[in-house]
Amino acid sequence: MIELLVHILLLAGLVISAFMVWHMDDLISAAIAFGAFSFLLSLEFLMLQAPDVAIAEAGIGAGLTTAIFVIAIRGTEKDGGASE
Amino acid sequence: MKSALRIGILVVCAAAFLMAGLDLSFGTPAYTDMDDYMLAHGQEETGSNNIVTGVVFDYRGFDTLGEATVLFTVVLGAGLVFRRLGKKEDEYEYE
Amino acid sequence: MNMSNLVRSGANIMMPFILVYGFYIVVHGHLTPGGGFQGGAVIATAVVLLMVAYSRADVFASIPKNVLKNSETAGLLLFIGTALLALTAGIAFFGNWLLGAGSLFGTPVAFGINPGDINTGGIIPILNIAVGIEVLGAMGILLLVMLGGMKGDAE
Repeated sequence: MIELLVHILLLAGLVISAFMVWHMDDLISAAIAFGAFSFLLSLEFLMLQAPDVAIAEAGIGAGLTTAIFVIAIRGTEKDGGASE
Repeated sequence: MKSALRIGILVVCAAAFLMAGLDLSFGTPAYTDMDDYMLAHGQEETGSNNIVTGVVFDYRGFDTLGEATVLFTVVLGAGLVFRRLGKKEDEYEYE
Repeated sequence: MNMSNLVRSGANIMMPFILVYGFYIVVHGHLTPGGGFQGGAVIATAVVLLMVAYSRADVFASIPKNVLKNSETAGLLLFIGTALLALTAGIAFFGNWLLGAGSLFGTPVAFGINPGDINTGGIIPILNIAVGIEVLGAMGILLLVMLGGMKGDAE
C-alpha cells in the first residue's frame, strides 16, 4: 500500500516537473526543472528495483546533463545581447 | 486550425504507440532461456556476486568494448567541433 | 563568472563525498549495484560541480590539462590489454583468465547468497576500474572542451 502511494507520488512529480520544463520562461529554471525530472526518474527506477539504472540516471541525467545545460546557457547570449 | 492539426497528429501517434504496447505484459517476457541460464550459472562462471556486472563484463564483454569505443569517439568528435571557437589569446589551448 | 559564495562553499563541502562515493561504486562493482560506467559518471559529476561553481580561469588553472586526457587513454588501453592477456593464458578474448587462480582477485566465489568478498571476480574488477577511469576522463574532457570553446566571460 505504502509502495503504491510512493509510486503515485513519484509519477505525479514526474508529470509535474516535465510540465514545468515546458512552462518555465527562464532557461536556467527550465534546466533545474529538468534536473528534478531526472532525479525523480532515478527514484522511480530505484522503486522498480533497478539500482544500476538508478545510479546511472542520477549521475548522467541529474548531474552531467544539467551541468551541460547550465554551462551552455552561461556561454550563450540573451536577446538583449548581454551574456548571462 | 494549425494547433488543432498538431494536437490531432499528436493524439494519433500516441494512440498508435499505446496500442502497440497494450498486449505486452509487464514482468513476464516471452523468451527467458538466456536469462534462466545466466541466473543459474552466472555466479560460478564469472565469479562476481553482481549478476548485472557479470553479464556486462563477461558474457557481453564485446558490447562494453564497443561502448568504450563510442565514448572515445564522442570525445574526439567534441574536440574537433569545439577546437577553434575561443579567442586566440585564451589561456587554455586545448589541442 | 563565479557563482555566489554559497554555491562555492557547498561545492567545496560536497566534492570529497561525491569522489569517495564514486570510487566506492567503481571498486565494489562486482559486489554491489553499480560498476565502472556508473561510478565514472558519479566521479565526473564531482569534476562538473567544480566547473559549474567556479569561473573559467579558475577551472582551467586547477584542473591539469593532460590528466583527464591521459586517464581516458589509459582506461581504454587497460581495458583492451586485460582482454588481450587472456589470449596468452590460452582462452578466448575476454576470457576470465584470473578466475580461481588464487592471485589478485582470484579467490573462488561461494555459490548462493553470501556477504561478498572484494578479492573475487577475476578480471571483472580490473575491467571495472578501467571503464571507470575511462568514463571519468571522457566526461571531464567533454565538458572541459565545451567550456573552452565558449566565448570569453562578459565581465
